[in-house]
Amino acid sequence: MSLIPGLGIVRGMGLTLRRFFEPKATIRYPEVRADIPPKFRGRLQLLYDEYGTLKCETCFQCAQACPIECIDMGGLDTKGRFHVHWGAAETYGERREESALRRSGRTVPDPAYTPFEGLDVGPVDTILEEHDHDPNRILEILEATQAKYGYLPVAALKRISQVTGAWYAMIYGTASYYRHLRFEPPTQAEQAAAMDARRPAEAAFLAGLGASLAGRAAGGASPAGRSGGNA
Amino acid sequence: MTGIAVLETPTGWPAILLPRSAAGAGAADPADLDAAVRAGAFEGLRRAVRDLGATGTIAVVGASGLRGRGGAGYPAADKWRAAGGTAAPGRIVVANGYGADPASQTDQTLLEQNPFAVIEGLAIAAFAVGAEEAIIAVRTEATSAIRLLEAALAAASDAGFVGANVLGAGRHLDVTVRTVQGAYLLGEETILLKALEGKRGQPEQRPPHPATRGLRGLPTVVHNVQTLAAIPWILVHGADAFAKIGAADCPGTILVQIRGAGRSGVAEVPLGTPLRQIAALAGPLGAGRSVKAVLVGGPSGGILPSDALDIPYTFDALRAAGAHVGSGSVIVADDRACIVDLARVLTRYCADEACGKTIPCRIGTRRLSEIGDRLAAGTARAGDLDLLADLAADIVGSALCDHERLATLPLMSGMRYFRAELDEHLERSSCPAGVCHPVAMATSATH
Ligand SMILES: Cc1cc2nc3c(=O)[nH]c(=O)nc-3n(C[C@H](O)[C@H](O)[C@H](O)COP(=O)(O)O)c2cc1C
Ligand code: SF4
Ligand code: FES
Repeated sequence: MSLIPGLGIVRGMGLTLRRFFEPKATIRYPEVRADIPPKFRGRLQLLYDEYGTLKCETCFQCAQACPIECIDMGGLDTKGRFHVHWGAAETYGERREESALRRSGRTVPDPAYTPFEGLDVGPVDTILEEHDHDPNRILEILEATQAKYGYLPVAALKRISQVTGAWYAMIYGTASYYRHLRFEPPTQAEQAAAMDARRPAEAAFLAGLGASLAGRAAGGASPAGRSGGNA
Repeated sequence: MTGIAVLETPTGWPAILLPRSAAGAGAADPADLDAAVRAGAFEGLRRAVRDLGATGTIAVVGASGLRGRGGAGYPAADKWRAAGGTAAPGRIVVANGYGADPASQTDQTLLEQNPFAVIEGLAIAAFAVGAEEAIIAVRTEATSAIRLLEAALAAASDAGFVGANVLGAGRHLDVTVRTVQGAYLLGEETILLKALEGKRGQPEQRPPHPATRGLRGLPTVVHNVQTLAAIPWILVHGADAFAKIGAADCPGTILVQIRGAGRSGVAEVPLGTPLRQIAALAGPLGAGRSVKAVLVGGPSGGILPSDALDIPYTFDALRAAGAHVGSGSVIVADDRACIVDLARVLTRYCADEACGKTIPCRIGTRRLSEIGDRLAAGTARAGDLDLLADLAADIVGSALCDHERLATLPLMSGMRYFRAELDEHLERSSCPAGVCHPVAMATSATH
């Protein structure tokens, strides 16, 4: 406490006044542009939360929002193999297991994919023709493509992107969201099991609910591998 | 899946959605158009097109007080007025038959037992709002419902009830059945529309509501299949007759999915029926057992104690009690169940299904689920219940779609009604029901 009453207020107002006449940091973008080093590209970084889990949900929003498609997701697939499906390898170093892909209960794309995978895209073009090259019908186009090839080859997705004008990230985002779409040829057993089986998440939920109602503890960590109590 | 049990309801309860024929349910082929027409199908559509006109139809549905059966209970006619009132190059009606809750078969049962009511309601709604395109969205796994629906649709189209020239009145209505699969959230309307556009299942900010800006930017009326199936009945029997059934503020009937120790199945109940009576359809409990709680609304439902069961089953009363109509699921839990464990199973499913688009969704639901896990494990911290209330309030305040908001209900209703049981877990690391196996460390429970 100051000995002179009100001095604190006078000092505070003085600071306000000084700041008022100081040059502003706000720049009237886009008329005025900040002086940024010519090679600055910003830097994407994936952050971890306080429990050591990656914060990224693989929700693809950043990839879909990026106007020049420099953002994308790639990383380790469920078999521990490194895979980058698009974009520069350094943008995303890893993929979270508990991602949209995990949620859909499938493995992630074939890591053996190379950008120049040899694929006859003729059938894709026919399918696109049948769907008026309409980006609003991507799901139907993907389903037809999968019916043709047995899975969704990445080269086919790229072709669809190229022809419809829909962003690759959007198409990939759609393809990785729906459980019935797959990036690897299924084994016969997988194909049979996938037909009208419930999603693994639903089956786990129903089992947990049943156990809980019957007075049995519904199990430890969730299928996602999320840790339970973390005290 | 066929052969879903339809539970017997007390005599005198109205049958609007699942007509109980004299010969007994299941006697006729639900996709037999001639039989359906003899029983009165498409009479409502005829009245709408020939007598009432679009505005007249909306007025009747408005006067009936029909509210959406998809969970939130929004008045149907208001949605139609919003969609009809916008200038647009086209309009769309979507029947939401997705049936998101894996433990509830209400919508699938309706599609299997009364497909023509859904198609007719859809045609009436399309006529009223001026839509020429309609989509029935069904879950891919519901293979028998899809087969039936497609057969019924083909028959209705051949007979001129939908298609190029509806009832010869010169209006066009193109109806398609679209299958969707992949996530719980696909039942939410903005997410369902995303799926129909072939995008990832993530919600959109509302407003604009789909009714003014929906599928492909066109005004889109999304209705639960039960809402649509009630409309023909209203047009045939009149708004007044409908308004007299059920509760004054939400008339009509609704399908509920009952699950209890005795019986499980779908039943048609008048809205406003006391929850106790609905829970009683599950039949008697095992010997020596008592009702501990009733879980209402599905995975994001509320857990209500046995002494709160006198509330009427209506949208508003359930909301006020900390639950919701949701998927129509009503699950009776007896005294073997532990509220903490139950709430935690539900919350975890909600968190796992959250789409990740926003922070309350991505982080909030996960933190909720962790609080449940900590309580069950006996590692909860002293302030955890305050944290729970705080976090839930933040999620409700900042959520993008209703999923996150509703995901707070299991734990919040558990805390509201079963506080002592939660405290027991928290303070003494013990589970009164003997379900959870918390780390026994009563002396260091607070840290
Ligand atoms: C997480 C979530 C899941 C939903 N699932 C369904 C569903 O499976 N079926 C449904 O009809 N409505 C569902 N809804 C409600 C829809 O968003 C929408 O309100 C409803 O289909 C509108 O129809 P109505 O006006 O007939 O109620 C869900 C909502 C949320 C938030
Ligand atoms: S995908 Fe992109 S936007 Fe989505 S959580 Fe990960 S970093 Fe964030
Ligand atoms: S579930 Fe992700 S925003 Fe609602």
